[in-house]
Formats: sequence, structure tokens, C-alpha cells
Amino acid sequence: MIRFEDVSKHYDNHTALRKVSFSVERGEMVFITGPSGSGKSTLLKLIYLSERADEGSVFVSGWEINTMRDSDVPVLRRKIGVVYQEFRLLYNMSVFENVAIALRIRGVDEREVKARVFDSLKIVNLRHKSDNYPHALSGGEQQRIAIARAIVAEPILILADEPTGNVDPDTSAGIIRTFKEINARGATILIATHNRELFRDTGKRTLKLDFGNFVGEGIG
Amino acid sequence: MSLPYSFRVAISSLLHEKWINFLSMLTMAIGLLFTAITLLTVYNIDLMTKKLPEKFSIMLYLKDSLAREEIDTLIEGIRQDPSVDRVFFIPKDEAFRELKATLRNTEYILDGLGENPLPNSIEIKLKAQLLGPESVKKLTAKLKEQAGISEIEYGEKFLASLHSVRKGMNTIGLVFLIVLSTGMIFICYSTVKILFYRKDEEIKTYKLLGATKGFIRTPFLIEGAVIGTGGGLISCITLVSLYYTFIFKLSQTFPLLNSMYFPVELFLALPAAGLLLGIAGAIIAIGRIRY
Ligand SMILES: Nc1ncnc2c1ncn2[C@@H]1O[C@H](COP(=O)(O)OP(=O)(O)O)[C@@H](O)[C@H]1O
Ligand SMILES: [Mg+2]
Repeated sequence: MIRFEDVSKHYDNHTALRKVSFSVERGEMVFITGPSGSGKSTLLKLIYLSERADEGSVFVSGWEINTMRDSDVPVLRRKIGVVYQEFRLLYNMSVFENVAIALRIRGVDEREVKARVFDSLKIVNLRHKSDNYPHALSGGEQQRIAIARAIVAEPILILADEPTGNVDPDTSAGIIRTFKEINARGATILIATHNRELFRDTGKRTLKLDFGNFVGEGIG
Repeated sequence: MSLPYSFRVAISSLLHEKWINFLSMLTMAIGLLFTAITLLTVYNIDLMTKKLPEKFSIMLYLKDSLAREEIDTLIEGIRQDPSVDRVFFIPKDEAFRELKATLRNTEYILDGLGENPLPNSIEIKLKAQLLGPESVKKLTAKLKEQAGISEIEYGEKFLASLHSVRKGMNTIGLVFLIVLSTGMIFICYSTVKILFYRKDEEIKTYKLLGATKGFIRTPFLIEGAVIGTGGGLISCITLVSLYYTFIFKLSQTFPLLNSMYFPVELFLALPAAGLLLGIAGAIIAIGRIRY
């Protein structure tokens, strides 16, 4: 599903990733771990092409995406559901609209939108807040809106950047359980986190980064 | 991409910035109104000046020595010219009778002259569409070479000035049209640009979520179109009201205004023109979308 071959990424004079190689199979759920600043977010950005790698190749579904034309980028992004570290919610829209946008962008029939949005809000326990605006919700709740938006279109690949960064341990465990359920239905999931508690005892593969270097893998 | 959704986004954004949008709509209306009035003025002046040449003719005064057959061949020759519409021969006696009729009660002025002092003459009417200083000059130059013509007379100055007035009016109209259209496109451009900048973060998020260019663009195009069409409708209503409160009433007192041309098509063209200008402005404002 995903394959990195000697991928490097430099920001100005700073190297965020150095010759990183790994692959993730279809249907896998993998944790990208490492301390803050180790390059986890950058690695995910190279997959949804918010950044382009400076060296090496990035494959998604067998597609070399790093040299992809601009016009194909939206096509790639619609196959992926992303939970951004900074949420990227639309603050002038209700919770419902924030989740629905993922379906509208994909041209889903308006008659289907309502049921699917409510389904995914139910999964993150925000069904009752669908008419609220993001500003009126806590950081943890906003994070769950972002998760609902990432999963609502049932993408084949989900990338989550610190998806439990703003929630208490109980909610955090709930979110990981949710991802495991979605993963069990076939979606490939990549979760970037600096929190070891998160992948402990999950039995899922972990890839560890440090200062932009790939320093090993293990099982959570 | 769903069009109803784009409409909903556009309408909510229009209402959200309702003062900016209303102001640019009004500015558009004023711009379109000025454009329409300019076009109407130019068109009506053009129409009037087009009617004037019907009265225009070239007069040839002939030498008395010319025989009737020679006159006929001369007339036949003039008829061959492609710019000529009609040719009339006016015998000297008829000209004299006409002169007498014009003078009517002051006929005695002519008494002292004894016999008819007027020459035979030929009046030439040119085809309206070919009437211009050049064609007249060409024809008269040709006629001057002919024997038997003592004098050629035509409103040279009149024709030339009429021609330059028409040309000038058309140029002024065109310049106005271009300047006003550019101004109106700029109004829509800057309005949409403001909306676009305000939504900068939102658009970034749309792009990250995989929205196509069309999905991002369409609401802004709709906003430009609504501002343009709205301005067009306001100017249309204003123009019709102006027409009925002023021109229509005044034409009862000044019949000259009756001959003014006031086409209905223009009213309908105003909202359409606003629509096009609005969309054009929006397209420029959005520019290229990059991922
Ligand atoms: N846009 C950027 N410009 C410059 N440096 C950046 C940028 N984004 C990230 N970095 C740097 O790259 C390194 C890796 O960042 P990041 O991928 O966000 O790490 P993580 O997600 O593991 O905390 C950090 O040192 C960070 O400061
Ligand atoms: Mg990060």
C-alpha cells in the first residue's frame, strides 16, 4: 500500500527525514513513533503530498506519487482520509457540515450524506453535537470531528497525525479502538504519535523515527 | 461536484459579506447605467446623422452649348458609377419655374433679368451606404474631366464634418465602453478577491481534503455572477424608470424625442452583460489554483 525508498526531506537547512525506507501492506495498521520533531508529521505529509520528497521515491497503491502532476493531487487525496495534527476544521461551519464536506468533495449523492455523517459522528460519540460549531467544543471534541471527517468517506488509507494529542487517556483508548475497528473492515491505517501508551499492547507494528532517521521497528 | 451545494456556499458567503457585496452591486449598476446611456446616445446620434445624407446631393451645372444627346450620354455615364443611386436631369426652364415659385411674391426681382439666366443641371443622389468624403471626391474628380460641365457643387464641408462627427462619436462610445467594462470587471475582481483572501485558510483545507479546482472555484464564480447580474438588474430597472419619468413624458412636448430609439434588447442585455463581467472578474480574481 505504501512504500518509501530512500526518502529524504529537507526544510531550508534542516533535514527532517534522511534516507527513510519502509513499506506498509494493504490492510495493515502501523504506528509511526518517535519523539517530537523526529519527522513523523513530515513523513505523513509526503504521503498526502502536502510536501514533496527531495530524494527517493514514495509509492501509494503502486503509484509513484512524488513526481505526480499537480492535477492528479486531488485524485490521490480523495483516496486518503487524514486527521491533521492541527485538525484543520472549518470554523464557520457546523460539526455536521465539517464532516459532510469530505463527502461533498467526493461528489457523494446529497441523499446519502446525512445518514453517513451521522454514522461517523456516532462512532466518535459526537452525534448529539452535530449542530454545534467547532469553537464551542473542547480540543478533544474538535479532534474527534477531524477523525469523523477522515473516516466518513471510507477511504482505503487513513493517516492520523497525533490523533489523541488533546484527549484524556480513556477517550484516547476509545479512539484507538475505533481505528482498530475501521482497520478490521479493511482500511490501511498509519498513526503518527509520540505517546507510547497508545500502541502498547495493540499488537500492531511500530516504526520508530529519531532525528529524521529510521531507527527500527517493533510490535506494540 | 454538486451545484446546489456550491450555490448554498455562495449565497451564505454573499450574505455574510452583505455590505461589500451590496456596494459592489450598486457600483456595477451605476457602471452599467452609464454604459447604457453612452451607447444609447451614440446610437441615436449615429441614427440621426445617417438620416441626414438623404438630403445630400451633387449638383452639376451644364454649359448651354451642350446638346440634348450629349446630356443623355453624360447622364448614362454617371448612372454607371457604382456609388450613384439616382440621377435627375433638371432643365433650365424647370429650374426657373421653381425659382419663381420659391420667390412667389417677390417675383419682380427676376423681371430685370429678362430671359432665364439659369443653366441646365443634373442632380446626383448617392447610395447612402457608400456616402462619404472619399467616394464623393472620387466621383467629382471623374466628373471634372468631362466636357460640358461648368460647375460642380456639393456640401463638401458639411459632408466631411458629418463624417468626422460620426467617427468621433463611435470612437468616444468605444472608449467609454472599454473603460467602463474594464472598471466593472475590476470591481467584481476586487470584491471576489477580498472574499477569496478571507477564505484563504478554508481553501487550503479544501485542497488538502482533495477538492477539485472546480469545487473551490464554483462558489466564487457564482458570487461574481450574482453581483454582476444584480447590478445589471438594478441598472435595467433604473433605466426603464428614467425612460418613463423623463423621455416618455417630455416627448409629448418635444416630438423630436419621439424619433429617439430606445431598444428593449438593451434592457435585457444589461443583466446579461453584468453576468459576463461578474464572471470575468471572478475568474481573474481566483487565478490559477495550485496544489
Ligand atoms: N515547514 C517547515 N519548515 C521548516 N522546518 C520544518 C517545517 N516542518 C517541520 N520542520 C522541522 O522538521 C522537523 C520534523 O518536524 P515534524 O515532521 O513536524 O516532526 P514530528 O511530527 O515528529 O514532531 C522538526 O525539526 C521541525 O522543526
Ligand atoms: Mg508532528
